[in-house]
Parts: sequence; C-alpha cells; structure tokens
Amino acid sequence: MMEPHIRSAFDKDLEGVQALVMRMGGLVEHALLQAAHALETRDDALAEDVRAGDRAIDELEDLIQTECARIIATRAPNTSDLRVILTVMRIVGSLERSGDYAKNLAKRSLVLAQMRPVNGAAGSISRMARTVVSLLKDALDAYIARDAHLAEDVRRRDVEVDQMYNSVFREFLTHMMEDPRNITACMHLHFIAKNIERVGDHATGIAEQVLYLVSGEMPVDDRPKADTTAEMPQVHG
Amino acid sequence: MKDIQIEERVVSDHMPKITARGVQVYYGQNHALKDVDVDILEGTVTAFIGPSGCGKSTFLRCLNRMNDTVSSARVEGKILLDGEDIYDRSVDPVQLRAKVGMVFQKPNPFPKSIYDNVAYGPKIHGMTRNKGELDEIVESSLRKAALWTEVKDRLQSPGTGLSGGQQQRLCIARAIATSPEVLLMDEPCSALDPIATAQVEELIDDIRSQFSVVIVTHSMQQAARVSQRTAFFHMGSLVEYGETGQIFTSPQDPRTESYISGRIG
Repeated sequence: MMEPHIRSAFDKDLEGVQALVMRMGGLVEHALLQAAHALETRDDALAEDVRAGDRAIDELEDLIQTECARIIATRAPNTSDLRVILTVMRIVGSLERSGDYAKNLAKRSLVLAQMRPVNGAAGSISRMARTVVSLLKDALDAYIARDAHLAEDVRRRDVEVDQMYNSVFREFLTHMMEDPRNITACMHLHFIAKNIERVGDHATGIAEQVLYLVSGEMPVDDRPKADTTAEMPQVHG
Repeated sequence: MKDIQIEERVVSDHMPKITARGVQVYYGQNHALKDVDVDILEGTVTAFIGPSGCGKSTFLRCLNRMNDTVSSARVEGKILLDGEDIYDRSVDPVQLRAKVGMVFQKPNPFPKSIYDNVAYGPKIHGMTRNKGELDEIVESSLRKAALWTEVKDRLQSPGTGLSGGQQQRLCIARAIATSPEVLLMDEPCSALDPIATAQVEELIDDIRSQFSVVIVTHSMQQAARVSQRTAFFHMGSLVEYGETGQIFTSPQDPRTESYISGRIG
C-alpha cells in the first residue's frame, strides 16, 4: 500500500469509500449464492429475501457515487488517488448490475418453483453461480490487496464460466427437444444462466480495473473467451 | 484506440525551443542542480514542480542567465536556445533576456506610469521608430495581458496604484512587450486571488500559441490546468519529465507519485 497522506482526512476518505465497496461486494456475493440456493431448494421465502435485499445494494451504490463526487470536488485527487476514485466508480457500476442479476434470478426462481423441475438444471446453475461468486470475490480481494497476479488469474478463469454456460445451453436445448413442456422452464433457466455468465464478465471487468489501478494502464491483450453459443449451429433433434 | 488523441493537447510533435544538457549549478560549495537534461518545446506550457529548495527556480533562472547576478553561483553544462549556446561569450545577457522574458512571484511594476512600464523594454531595445509604433506595442501587449479594457483610460496613472492581480498582468504585459520567444514565470499567481489567477491562467493558454511558457508553481492543480508538459524536481535532480496528463494520472517514479498526491516525499 501507499504511504499515508500528509492530510490524514484524505486517507480516511479513500479508505472509507473502499470499505463501502467491499461491503457492497459482500452483499452482491451473498445475494447471488442465496438466489442460486433458493432456486435449487425451491425456497420462496429465501428468494423473496434476495429480491428485497437488492434495495440495500442500490442504496450503497448511490452512497458510494455521491461520496466519490464529493472527494473529487473537495480533494482534487491525483495519480493513484485519482485511479482509486475512478476504479471505485466503475466497480460499483459492475456490482450494482450484478446485484440486479441476482434479483432477477430470485424472481425467476419464484416462477420456476411453480413448475415441474427440469432434471439437474438447478444443480448446474448453482455450480455456475458458485464459480462466478468465487471470481467476484477474488476480483474484489485483488482490488483491496492491489494484487495484479490475482487479477490476471480472474481474467483467465472467466473461461471456465463461459464453458459452463455453453454446456448448460446445450443441456437446456436437449431438455426442450425431449419434451416441449420443459420449454417455459428452460427459457427461464437459460436467462438465469446467461445472467450469471454476465456476472462473470463483470468480475473480469473489476479485475481489469485492478490492473489499471496498479499499473495506470488498461490491459491491451484480448482476454480469453469461450462463450461459443452465438456461433453454435442449429441443433437437429 | 491508442492512435486516437485529443489534438489540442498534443505537443509531442513540437520542436525543442530550449535544449538543456548536463546542467549543474553550484552556489559556493552547495551543488544545487545536478545533471539536468530537458527539452522545452515550442508553443508549449511547461510546468516545473517540486518541493521548496528542489532546484526548479534555480533551473528557471539559468534559462535567461539570471544566475549571472548571483556571485557565488556557477553554472555548468549546455543550454541551447534555438541551437545556440546562451552561455557563449558572444551572447549579451541583456539581449538574451529580451528573448527570454520573466515574470516573478510578486508583482514588481516600475514606479512609473502604466504606459511607461510597458514601453520601457521596447524603448531600451530600440524596437520602435516613433511614438505611434510604441503606442501600438503598448496597446497590443496590454490587450494580450487582458488588461487593456481596465486601464486604457488611465495609462498615465502609476502602475503601483493597480490591484495585485492587475499589477501582475501589467508585469506580464511588460514581459511580452519585447516580443520574447520564451516566457519564464516564477509562481506568477501565488499573490493573486482566484479570479486574477484564472485570468492569468487564461492568458498563459492564449500566449502559448506565440511562445513557449515555462512556469514554476507550488499549486499542483495549477500545473495540471495550464501545462502540457510537467517536470518534477527533487533535491536538485530532475526526477521525471513528461506529458502532464500522464504525470498526474500515472507517474513512473514513486517520488513523483508521493509529491503530487500529497504524501511525505
């Protein structure tokens, strides 16, 4: 970490806003895991909790953005201080969006609880959610520790999420072809899987912010990607 | 994406106006400036920043041989203005200072009229043939210094009767009246209020199309606002010199980082 400022209030401001980001990250991770759990266990009460909990995430985002604006206005941050503020603002955007996806997952799980379960689907989704949350957690840990290696690792591991998404995409197609009564549920499940895959992209985005914070430059190489569903040929049943 | 740039701020293709190589300054036994290499570009505002006593003003004063007047000072190395060594025997320091003007920290108008303050330089350098030409230079200099409308009806009043901000702009008008090629400014706004500061900064931005400006400032935000290039001095050495945006977002040297962000450096 950097040496302290001569004005200690500046350090307090920066630490304060980063602590809020960590709190927000914790809420988002929790919401994703709980929503996936609610889906798997068909727990309506838990899903309702996740839906209601998104409000707290949104409020934290507002608070952090306001605080960043105040720090820019009053302290005119430079160099790494400026990069802290810029990255905080971008990261909370990603976290807020991820929180929305968790909320959406909870909503859909309430609908899915009314339907016939699709064999093994909730388990696959839950595994995917756990993988994504571990990416998100590592990205935020890398942020706090200013750990470029861990951030690079997160960028690489997003491929795993893409591959899981490809595989559930095929799985859902198969279920729908086997029995058209699965179509409604599988459509919902597919949106859920896609949203979780997007959270993985946000985790990668946060990891890129860590690299910017540490080096002052955004990574220029294209990160590895493995979502191939856009190029998949039509499947004949 | 890398080749998309904001045109206005690009100065990397500008020619060097002043080239300094291996500049050393000693005040008696004190080695005040150590081996400084810098290119000051044409049409560019260059900011010198650094803690008190870091050598930035010393270096600024080398650029128009102001250190000649300090008996204990000894300058080594090369400083070229348009390729010519300004410390060459054949160079007349008075002529040099007409080309390389200077504005100081505290406004220091001559105890003369506003008109005479500005007319003094052109007169002693014999730049005009008659009163009409001199009037023109006085007016255009005062206009460039954004002071004309405020003083045009009282050109014969003493310069010392103006407000602090007006006095500083008068000194700038005086400095630019000799049509210098480089303008050196040693903390030109430290005695000014925010409005007068904004006026001087606006002026700096205007005049850089005509000459190079080198400004020493203790205000980080002023350096960030007015300059395209920034040089950071520390303990007599030039630590880092680069594009202002880069210096203020991601400096390469940890000492620059510490100083600019207000940490113990």
